[in-house]
Amino acid sequence: MNSMTLTAGHRSSHVNPIHLGSLTRWLLLAFAFSACGLLFVYVKNQQHFLGEQTRQAERSIREVRAHNEVLLARISALSSRSELQRKLDQKFITLQPIRDTSIARLVPPATAGNDGVLRTAANERLSP
Amino acid sequence: MALIFTGFSARLIHLQVGKHEEYTALAAQKHSIRLTVPARRGLIFDRNGEILATNIPVRKVVVDGSHLNNAEALAALAAPYLDLSEKALGKELKTSSKYKVLFSDLPEDKALALQKAMEKKGLRGMYFHQNTTRTYPNGPMLSHVLGFLSRKDPEDEHVVGVEGVERSMQDALCGKDGFRHIERDRTGREIVIYRGQEQAAKNGLSVQLTIDMGLQAILETELDNACKELRPENAIGIIIQPKTGEILAMASRPTFDLNQINSAKPAGMKNRAIMDMLEPGSTFKIVVVAAALNERTVNENTLVYCENGSFAYGGRILRDHHGYGQMNVHDILMKSSNIGSAKLALMMGDEKFYEYVRRFGFGERTGVDLPGEISGLVHPPARWDKLTITRMPMGHSVAVTPLQLAMSMAVIANGGKLMRPHIIQSVKDSEGKEIQNFAPEVVRQVVPAKTAEFVSKALMEVVTERGTATLASVNGFAVAGKTGTAQKVDPRGGYTEGKYVTSFVGYLPAEDPQLVCLILIDDAKLSPSVNYGGLVAAPIFSRVAEKAARYLDLTPASRAEALLPVAMRQTDPTEFRQ
Repeated sequence: MNSMTLTAGHRSSHVNPIHLGSLTRWLLLAFAFSACGLLFVYVKNQQHFLGEQTRQAERSIREVRAHNEVLLARISALSSRSELQRKLDQKFITLQPIRDTSIARLVPPATAGNDGVLRTAANERLSP
Repeated sequence: MALIFTGFSARLIHLQVGKHEEYTALAAQKHSIRLTVPARRGLIFDRNGEILATNIPVRKVVVDGSHLNNAEALAALAAPYLDLSEKALGKELKTSSKYKVLFSDLPEDKALALQKAMEKKGLRGMYFHQNTTRTYPNGPMLSHVLGFLSRKDPEDEHVVGVEGVERSMQDALCGKDGFRHIERDRTGREIVIYRGQEQAAKNGLSVQLTIDMGLQAILETELDNACKELRPENAIGIIIQPKTGEILAMASRPTFDLNQINSAKPAGMKNRAIMDMLEPGSTFKIVVVAAALNERTVNENTLVYCENGSFAYGGRILRDHHGYGQMNVHDILMKSSNIGSAKLALMMGDEKFYEYVRRFGFGERTGVDLPGEISGLVHPPARWDKLTITRMPMGHSVAVTPLQLAMSMAVIANGGKLMRPHIIQSVKDSEGKEIQNFAPEVVRQVVPAKTAEFVSKALMEVVTERGTATLASVNGFAVAGKTGTAQKVDPRGGYTEGKYVTSFVGYLPAEDPQLVCLILIDDAKLSPSVNYGGLVAAPIFSRVAEKAARYLDLTPASRAEALLPVAMRQTDPTEFRQ
C-alpha cells in the first residue's frame, strides 16, 4: 500500500537508473567477442587465400619442373646417337676426313740411351 | 518455451557431440582423399654418363563424376585434346565414380592447355595428376640390355621392369610413392589449409652401366651391316673387358625399338647373348688345349698324331679339313685340328675333361646381372655316349651361351681367371652420390697364367696366314682368337644340312688385352663352301676391333703396314676351315 501510494505520487518523476558502467562493460565485452569473431573470420579467410596462393605457387613450380624435365628428355633424344646417325644419313651433318697435315704420325718408339734413361721431349725441355 | 528450447538444445548436443564422429567420417568420405605423390623412376646411364633411359612428365587424366558440372560441354572441349571423339568421351564422362582414369599419359603441354581452357569456361570435374612415361633416347640401341616396363596387371597403374636392367634393378629404380591427405571443396579444388598427413615421395636411384655407348654403336652398326649382307637368322656381338669382366657392349639381331614396344615381335625381344644356347664349334678347342697342358697330359713339345685327316673311333670317322700328321699342341689349336683335339681329350679322360669344361664356366649361369640367363647344356660323363669324348672337344655335344663363350676366351686373355661378367657399374642417388658400387669379381683361377700365355700365343697364330682367321687381323695390333663353324642343330634331332653357326671370338692387343669380342652369325645365307667362321665372322670382328681400338685410343704395337688386297677368288676357302 505504501509503495503504491509512493508510486502513485512519484510516477511521473521515477525512472530506472541506467547503470552506464555495467552497460559499457557489457557492450565492450560484446564488441570484443564480435571483434574476435570477425578477426577469426578474417584470419580464416586469409588462411584460405594464402592456401590458394600456395596451391597456385606449387602448381607453377610443378609446371616449371615438368617443363624442365620435358626439355631434358628432348635434349637427350636430340643428342642421342640415333639422332646423330639420322642427321648423318639425311646429310644434315657430314663427316670430314682428317687432312694429312692434321695427323701426327707415330715414329718408332724412343729407346733408352747408354745410361739407361729414356728421354722424352718433355724431359729434354726441363733438363738444365 | 523452456521445454521447446530444452528439446532443441538436447538435439543440438546429440548431433554435435553424440554423432560427431559419424558425421565427421561422412564429411571426410565426401571431401577427403588420399592423393598419391608418384616417385620418379631412376635414370639409366652408360659408363660415360650418357642417358640411356629417362622419364618424360605426362599427366594422368582423371574424372570425378561427383564434381562434373557440365559433362557435354566438357566432352566437346576436351575431345580434341584427348584425341577422342566427342561421343566416346561423353560416354566416359557419364560416370558416378569419383576416380575414373581416362588417360594415363597425356603430354604435359596438352594437359596444361586443356586445364586452362577448362578454367576459362568454368568447367569442373576433370583432374590432371602428375605421371611420367619412360623414354629411351637411343631407340633400338641396347634394347635387350635395357629392357622395358609394363603393368603388373591391367587394373594396376604401377609399371614394373619386365626385361633387362629395368627388371634386374627394379627395386633400386622404382623408388617409393609418397602420399598426401587432402580435402576438396565442392568445386573440386584442394583446400590447402586442411592438408593432413603427408609423406614425400622417395625418387628412384639411378643406375650406371658398364656399357660404353661408343663401342655399342660400333658393334651395332657392324651387326646391322652384316645382317643386310648375310641375312642371317640371328647375329650376336659381345665386347667385354677381360680383366674386370665388365660388359662394354652387347647386341643381338633381330632387335626392337624400346619406344615402340607395342609393335615389337617376340623373336626380336630376346637377349640372345644370354638366352640362346648353341653348339660353339671350334672356339671350344681352347678348353681341351688349356686343360691338357695344365694337367701335364701333354707339354709344349708333345707331338700328337692326327691320323692324316681321318680318325676311326667308336664306329665313326672323325675328319680334319686337311690331312695332318704329327702336330704339337700349338699347331692343333692354330690349325684347328678336330682329331688333335679329340686325342687330347682321350688322353685326359672324360672326367678330367668334363671338370675343365665346368671350370671354364660352361654348364652354369655366369651370374650376369640381367634376367633370363640360361646355363647352357653340358651333360656329365655318365650320360655321354662313346663318341662324346671326341665330339665335345671340338664344340659339339655341348650347348653354350654366347656370353659363356666370350667369358671363356677372357680366361685366356687375362691370365687364367674366370671373371664374373657384370653390366651394372654403380647405383647413384639423384644428386650423383654413389650408393653402391659393383667391383670386379674373380670366380676362380681356371688355369695358371703360364698355361693361358701358351694358349694365347697359339691363338695369335690363328690370326696369321698359317691359321684359320687371317681376316680377323687388325692393322697395327696383335690379335688372338679362334674361329668356330658348327652345323646347326635340328630341333627334331641331328643337324640341319647346309646351315651353320659361324663365330669368331678374340681379343686385342694380344700382349695386354683390353677387349674380348665375340661375333656370332647364325645361318648366314651363303653357300656352304664359304660359310665358315674365318670368312664370315672374322672380318666382322676385324672391323669392330679396329674401330674399337681407335675409339679406345689403344696404342698400336707395331708400325702399321699397308694391307695388300686379296681377291676373294684367289682365296682357297679350305684355308679357313676349322
